[in-house]
Amino acid sequence: MRKGQITIQALVFLIIGLLIGAAIGYFIAPKPTGDIDALQKELEDKKAELEQVKTQLQDVLSQLENLKQGKTITIKVWAVGPDPPSEYRFLNFQLAADVLNAMLKDLGSNVTIEIEGQFFARPVEWEQYRQNFYQSFAAGEAPDVYLTGHEDIGYLAENNFIIPLDNYINKYWDLIYYDVFPTLWKAVEYKGQKWAVPQDTEARPMYFRKDILRQLGWSEDEINALPEKIKNGEFTLQDLLEVAQQAVDRGLVERGILHRVKEGYDYLQFYLAFGGSLWNPETGKMVFNRTAWELTLNWFYSAVYEYGVISPNQFSGDWDADFHGPFTEGRALFLSGGTWHKGEWIQKGLLTEEQFKDVVGYALHPAARPGGKPVTLSHPLVYTITTQAKERGLDEIAFVLVTLVTMPTFNSKHAVQSAHLAITRSQIMETQYSQDWFLQDVAYMLEYTTFIPNHPDWGKYSRIVFNALRAVETGDMSPSEALNYMVTEMQNQLGDSVEFVE
Amino acid sequence: MSGESIWQKEISGEDIKRFFRVLFGAIKNVFVSVYNRFYDYGSQIISKYGSKMAISFFLIPSLGFISVFYFLPFILTFLIGLTSMDFTFQWNWVGLQNFIRIINDSFAPKILGNTFFYVFTTLSFFNVGMALVVSLITNHIPDEVGSAVRGIWLLPRITPSTVYALLWLWAARRESNALINWFLGLFGIPPTDWMLNHPWVIVILVNGFVGTSFGMIVFTAALKSIPEDYYRAARVDGASTWEIIRYIEIPMIKWPLLFVTAYQTLSLLTSFEYILILTDGGPGLYTTEVWSLYSYHVAFKSYGGTVEIGYGAALATVLVLIGIILSIIYWRVFKFEEMMTEPKIEV
Repeated sequence: MRKGQITIQALVFLIIGLLIGAAIGYFIAPKPTGDIDALQKELEDKKAELEQVKTQLQDVLSQLENLKQGKTITIKVWAVGPDPPSEYRFLNFQLAADVLNAMLKDLGSNVTIEIEGQFFARPVEWEQYRQNFYQSFAAGEAPDVYLTGHEDIGYLAENNFIIPLDNYINKYWDLIYYDVFPTLWKAVEYKGQKWAVPQDTEARPMYFRKDILRQLGWSEDEINALPEKIKNGEFTLQDLLEVAQQAVDRGLVERGILHRVKEGYDYLQFYLAFGGSLWNPETGKMVFNRTAWELTLNWFYSAVYEYGVISPNQFSGDWDADFHGPFTEGRALFLSGGTWHKGEWIQKGLLTEEQFKDVVGYALHPAARPGGKPVTLSHPLVYTITTQAKERGLDEIAFVLVTLVTMPTFNSKHAVQSAHLAITRSQIMETQYSQDWFLQDVAYMLEYTTFIPNHPDWGKYSRIVFNALRAVETGDMSPSEALNYMVTEMQNQLGDSVEFVE
Repeated sequence: MSGESIWQKEISGEDIKRFFRVLFGAIKNVFVSVYNRFYDYGSQIISKYGSKMAISFFLIPSLGFISVFYFLPFILTFLIGLTSMDFTFQWNWVGLQNFIRIINDSFAPKILGNTFFYVFTTLSFFNVGMALVVSLITNHIPDEVGSAVRGIWLLPRITPSTVYALLWLWAARRESNALINWFLGLFGIPPTDWMLNHPWVIVILVNGFVGTSFGMIVFTAALKSIPEDYYRAARVDGASTWEIIRYIEIPMIKWPLLFVTAYQTLSLLTSFEYILILTDGGPGLYTTEVWSLYSYHVAFKSYGGTVEIGYGAALATVLVLIGIILSIIYWRVFKFEEMMTEPKIEV
């Protein structure tokens, strides 16, 4: 019994002794030289760094592997006619990609550029083309390069659809961009930046049938002098009405003057001829010149109802039956068209090159008053780079392709086939372009040209103009009613974006 | 690999029959098992919660369908109508601004007037009027001829709408050799530009000839279901054909008449595809523009690239409201409910 008690006491002491020993040992043990947590963190960091280096190495290795296998970069391009001969707006990218691929191959690179995308032509019109773009953009499937009218730039830039291109353009300035006509750069500017690269431009001539004028008793010299007379302001919009009326009255033609059958910008030329302007570059606002619009509306009214030279139903017409057909068949005397229509007539087989030379003449749109300035309107189309291209990291390569297609060799293919005008000075001397007598002949018209404004609300202005002219021609409104309609709608829909001048 | 492979074996008619027997058997089994499952659940719910819950349960599929395809688009249209959405597809809320703009829109009264004119004229002269005349006439001539006439009348309905409208555009051109002018020329009537001078005539004719076919089929079916005894009794009493039409046939098909009127009103109110192709709302400023076409133009069409999807949606919302009001009127005034409760024609 006692012996057992002693054993228990001994055990208790032993445990207490061990605890005390451990405590003493803990307090007198030497401290470690650094903070253990910090050390551990350092170790973790090193490990993470090593991991990062490893991943980077793996990336480089896989890229090298890719290069060995060959890499394809696909650039999506969308372009529109809607006139079919303008297909080189898209096809040129495929040709440029072939050249670029050949260069890359020679340099030993296995990277291949592939062009995906589409050229939109009639029956697709501008409205559907634009709608397709915005919807594809909303779906994240927008093209990298998007061709559009320069007047869209305001809206596209304002809403972050496209990227500013100043840096890109400056990079290749000495290669080709120095050579682009300076006026065209104005068309791609918005809020002090360049948002696009000009693709083409054109003039809108007033075409006339020489054979009808001959039948009216004009001598060959008089006919040939007409463009010059118009240029000098010696043949006015009033003369245009009178000559057209003579041809109609004598039964030589069904219609005196034809203009486009759908909404467009051609009618603005008459407003410009009457002294109107479209925008004020200083304030950035669109301009509504009341007097000029009144004169324009009156001119259209008298053309339809006093002189009987424009059909009241022209705006509801059909492109072939009411525009191309009557003029190319000699059933109309004048046609307010564009240089590209010559391309369209030849490609469609409506006229041969020889017939065109023989029976068709072309001049500026006449001035409103004797001695006044004749006009034409240009609507440069432009290549933009979308913000989605930038997000995909394809902006640089897309821009290289845009630069290539801007070169005279490529652009002239488009210009000659579709009868559009040169965008660079050296293009005038380019082999294909310099051989096209028509393009050489109309080049002077660019001196008389105007652009439409790059304003985000331009579409509304244009729609109001179209509605008013259409109502005047069909007799739904008198010119003064149409003017009131325009003023009210401009105020309601555009508010501060428009400046009214008398 | 000895003998013929299955791919080389010639397929006999018997094989095809067997294949379809098995296929249809399998499809039937699937339907039967789905039906049984559904039926079992239904029975369980009735025993557990009573018949009201069971009715709700059986309504779930249709309610789901209606919600997704009918209510949801309307709610979305209404919500878009509260925004200034354009091609950026951004939901920029502007409250009732678009609806206030409709009230102040100087062309809204004209376009609304056009819409009612178009619906009323097409409906009374063609979709109901002409349909009734055609079915009555074809019901009173030998059946072979009647069927042939009705068959021919269906042609515009089965012709692609674009082709049909373009044919009309050619027929209505201003030249003296265009179909309509040529035909009228035979009677010494001088040629005219139909699309310019009488656009409504062409718009209503084009829609009318297509719209007639629907009423014609419904009315003919109703006329065919009038028991022969009525005709015999009338003839015995010495009734003329006109009296048979007046006192037997028209009263007997009163309900199909009302149904076609109501249905075609709503259909005409929203349809604009032929007007779009024929006149695009022209030839003048909104001459033939109807409300649905205006909504489409505002929301999607702009040469200059500026569209107003928000305003277009607000216009579409107003059209839906007009449709709802008209439906209520038809329901109440014409006692549509009665028609739905019991059959009015003895078969």
